[in-house]
Amino acid sequence: MKEFAYFPGCSLEKMASSYHMSALETTEKLGIKLRELDDWNCCGATTYFYIDELLAYTLCARNLAIAEKTGLDVVAPCSACYKNMYFTAAHLKKDPDLAEHVNFALEEDDLQYNGNVNVKHLIEVFANDIGPDELKSKVTKPLQGVRVAPYYGCQIVRPQKEKENVEQPQFFEGILSAIGATPVNFPLKMRCCGGSLIISSRTAALSMVRNLLQSAVDSQASVIATACPLCQVNLEVYQQQVNQEFGTNFSVPVLYFTQLVGLALGIPQKKLGIGKEFVDSMPSLLQAGKG
Amino acid sequence: MEKKEKIGVYVCHCGTNIAGVVNVGEVSKWAEENLKDQGVVVSRDYKFMCSSLGQELIQKDIKEQGLTRVMVAACSPHLHEKTFRNACKGADMNPYLCELVSIREQDSWVHTDKVAATEKAKAIVSGGVARVAHHEALEPLRVPIHPATLVVGGGIAGIQAALEIADAGFHVYLVEREPSIGGHMAQFDKTFPTLDCSACILTPKMVDAGNHPNITLLTYSEVEKVDGYVGNFVATIRKRARSVVEKDCTGCGICWEKCPKKVVDDVFEVGMGTRKAVYVPFPQAVPKYPVIDRVNCTYYIKGTCKACEKFCPTNAIDFAQEDEIMNVEVGNIILATGYDLFDSRRIQQYGYGRLPNVFTSLEFERLSNAAGPTGGNIVLRDGKTVPKAVGIVHCVGSRDKNYNEYCSAICCMQSLKFAHLVEERTGAEVYNFYIDIRTPAKGYEEFYHRLLEEGTHFVRGKVAEISDATRLPGEDGKLIVQVEDTLTAVQLRVPLDMVILSAGLEPRAGSKEFAKTFGISCSADGWFIERHPKLDPVATMTEGIYIAGCVQGPKDIPASVAQGAAAAARVLGKIQQKEIALEPVRATVHEEQCSGCRICNNLCPFNAILFHEDRMVSEVNPALCQGCGTCVAGCPAGAISGTGFSNEQILSQIEGLLLVNLSKEAAAV
Amino acid sequence: MSDTITFSQEISNLLHAVEGEPLKTCIQCGTCSGTCPVAGYMDHTPRLLISMINRGMKEEVLASNTFWYCASCYHCTVRCPQDIDITELMYGLKRYSIWKRQHKEGLIGPTFSESFIKMIVRGGRSYEPILAPSYIFSFGMRDMLLEVQGATELLLKGRLPILPPRIKRLEKFKKMLGRIIPMGGLE
Repeated sequence: MKEFAYFPGCSLEKMASSYHMSALETTEKLGIKLRELDDWNCCGATTYFYIDELLAYTLCARNLAIAEKTGLDVVAPCSACYKNMYFTAAHLKKDPDLAEHVNFALEEDDLQYNGNVNVKHLIEVFANDIGPDELKSKVTKPLQGVRVAPYYGCQIVRPQKEKENVEQPQFFEGILSAIGATPVNFPLKMRCCGGSLIISSRTAALSMVRNLLQSAVDSQASVIATACPLCQVNLEVYQQQVNQEFGTNFSVPVLYFTQLVGLALGIPQKKLGIGKEFVDSMPSLLQAGKG
Repeated sequence: MEKKEKIGVYVCHCGTNIAGVVNVGEVSKWAEENLKDQGVVVSRDYKFMCSSLGQELIQKDIKEQGLTRVMVAACSPHLHEKTFRNACKGADMNPYLCELVSIREQDSWVHTDKVAATEKAKAIVSGGVARVAHHEALEPLRVPIHPATLVVGGGIAGIQAALEIADAGFHVYLVEREPSIGGHMAQFDKTFPTLDCSACILTPKMVDAGNHPNITLLTYSEVEKVDGYVGNFVATIRKRARSVVEKDCTGCGICWEKCPKKVVDDVFEVGMGTRKAVYVPFPQAVPKYPVIDRVNCTYYIKGTCKACEKFCPTNAIDFAQEDEIMNVEVGNIILATGYDLFDSRRIQQYGYGRLPNVFTSLEFERLSNAAGPTGGNIVLRDGKTVPKAVGIVHCVGSRDKNYNEYCSAICCMQSLKFAHLVEERTGAEVYNFYIDIRTPAKGYEEFYHRLLEEGTHFVRGKVAEISDATRLPGEDGKLIVQVEDTLTAVQLRVPLDMVILSAGLEPRAGSKEFAKTFGISCSADGWFIERHPKLDPVATMTEGIYIAGCVQGPKDIPASVAQGAAAAARVLGKIQQKEIALEPVRATVHEEQCSGCRICNNLCPFNAILFHEDRMVSEVNPALCQGCGTCVAGCPAGAISGTGFSNEQILSQIEGLLLVNLSKEAAAV
Repeated sequence: MSDTITFSQEISNLLHAVEGEPLKTCIQCGTCSGTCPVAGYMDHTPRLLISMINRGMKEEVLASNTFWYCASCYHCTVRCPQDIDITELMYGLKRYSIWKRQHKEGLIGPTFSESFIKMIVRGGRSYEPILAPSYIFSFGMRDMLLEVQGATELLLKGRLPILPPRIKRLEKFKKMLGRIIPMGGLE
């Protein structure tokens, strides 16, 4: 069984609890063990970097140090947590000065970070560690006829880490095809949902959400799949507000990719947290013969 | 102590370039006093040693004082080594008994501490004096020059070079990879800024080259190997089998008319048109002989058809024809192999290859060309719709650290040309999206003003993305260019029917290996390296190999023609001299010490070392050797020494620099 | 050699993780501003802001809402032909602005950020309800009501935490943070 140190991130406790549930259910079924990090703390989101870089790195480093003790690589389901931890690990490796400062602080919690942890996004585990072929072989209830818009968002692929494709990646589509769904050509799949702007610059964020929803509808998607709790919340919880602001009429279900994978693997809905959404996904899924 | 040489030391002021930092008078006096035991009999300083007066100073001393060695401390040898060597020659001293050390580039130009710089100059002079005592009188090597020339690449630069040499009465082998000469220029519609028809100005030269008695045209051919050295190259050329017997073919065209197999032409028509399996690339092809594309020809795939053979009135089809390998002897080689277009698919946010109505510059040239796949009609991919709004994107794949950092030189003018052609032919609204407008040559800026008057919309902003995700009214079915109009600081969404990408120029695929065949190098970007970026753009570091046209870097047609002519002139100059004097600064293998390990063979960047199987020793070809010293350093047995840079010379120069062996009268400095 | 440091140099220094003079290499091509999904809502486009920084227009830069509207999507950064990390610049400007306590009036970003930090220091974890006061009162009536309505729905679906979560080793955590001296001297 492949094991990873699991960093859920603050949102997955309540706001995105369905992501948490479906993540654990699906990985278990596919032979991956996610071991939640002991006493992990908030990664700082984007906000901590607005105040002080060193503090922000320290927050992430604490989690990395805790993970290092387990000897496992870290998996984060939230794109912001993933980006923060990945780059903290990368900067600490490149800059011994920074590492010294941070480790000095970590001492207070009897921790040290020595640069031995790799950080992955949960979707990478599905795309690479499990892979579409293995995934397909375990599918018992393929999502035949369900048109899904694969919404990557921004911080999964950007900033560029190595030489990977940042403009038109296809790994999300690969996962959706493997579970029998039809990934649609969704031109705005790499565009930002607004992130924390939903709080600090509400109108700007709502216009970004609106464009995404419009594009998904224009691509004839019946459901949008996301891989980040903030994206899911912005696209779904605020759909009403978008309609109010712009006079539109959106009612697009937004699910986590793990929930879709879970359905295809035959895991019951309740265990995947389906039912906690604002926009009912049932009609779209039922339409395709799922239930 | 052996018989001492009589050394003259000359320290140059170079105006204030050296004298402003180094106390040249002090250095000269110091040399006179402290290097007496080394053989210094006279030491002078002078304002400009390279001037005729400065040179005469040296010549006078040689004659009057009987100097046996001359040591000049001035600028870098790159600039004036030849000057001082010639001065010595003028006074009947062997030029290689003169040494020039740099106290400018290596001292006064890089230091600000005057005291330290002066001390350093003394050390440098001391090193030079110690070394020059070990110089030997050398004679330059004289090798004969074969009067024939090889020109590789039949584009405009290569054609120009070939014609000039041929017109001067000497033989040229013009090798071209494609079935016809003409290069990229044959694909263009009009040329900037005059809007001359490209084929109309090119084809007369092509015909001349094809008919010239002094030019052997070798098309559908490639150079596989080059042996030898300047004046005496042997090039192995593979003449690929056309499957057509040239002496019988009249170019009547019945074969390609009757051929049933149609193929997408992705070379000349850039994938936008078709040709047959037996074809000439374009109607004005030179030579007129077609070629059978064996990959797609039905006969070669299945063994059937043979329509061309059936209908050929002169029986010129020969399916069994084989490649011909020929060896030609030439004295000089000119490389003019041109460029490849940047692959716009790499910029995925521009949608080329995914969005049908995004075109590249070469694709547009074919659209616009009356002999092209649409008969000169500028239409969308559906082959019929005339666009009403067209965007032209500058700097695609150029000026961009993510792709190529350099500017491709021709895209601004090309984009302006496109803007004019689109407006003239379709009356569409034209938008040019640029970062800067680069119009440096004659008539170029005026051409830009003409475009301004014609009503082209210029938007200063590098296009961020091209998409078909429409969302605003009026955008339906259009391509949306998203860009910031930096001059008004507003982000725009511009709806267009067609977008043309002015893609950058890149070195040909496989340039690095190709350069190796000729023993020259490429820059990091892949362009071939010239001997000096300012003063010698057509020669290379390898004697006898010249470069011309875009192979040296992106440039427009006038510059390519000029370089072709320049390379031809250099070659003609060499041919006229009938022999060439090569620098005697060379490496030599001492056979008795050579163990035959062959480590040096692969170290040589100029392929100048041969290995004699019979005697199991390596030998340096003095004509190819450039005296770089790599083999000298690399030989584990120390069996290779360099004339002009022997161990004694170098070691004594080091000791001189360290101020060992100073005269006993002057104790510590 | 001047003893005082220019504004543009101060900002360049904030990009210390990058080599060279990143802002000076900007050729003002506009790719960043053409890409930015929020550019239409900014006082100055990102490219224009860089030009203003290079020109030393400190007051105007700090009074701009541009960097507070940056969503940190990194699209500009991956496309910049001069390899400038524009997103990092925006982060740097936010930090500078909070440090100098100088920013445009009426922005939610600064106060929200400070509340967020306090929340993390308090418990080590995020707790949304505590953040509400930092922004909800800047909203108009309609938006405030919508927000409350949304929050209630979330609560009913079990998606909002009722009690603030805390990490176990909170005291040590606080001490750990205390060993880093924050630039802004927040605590």
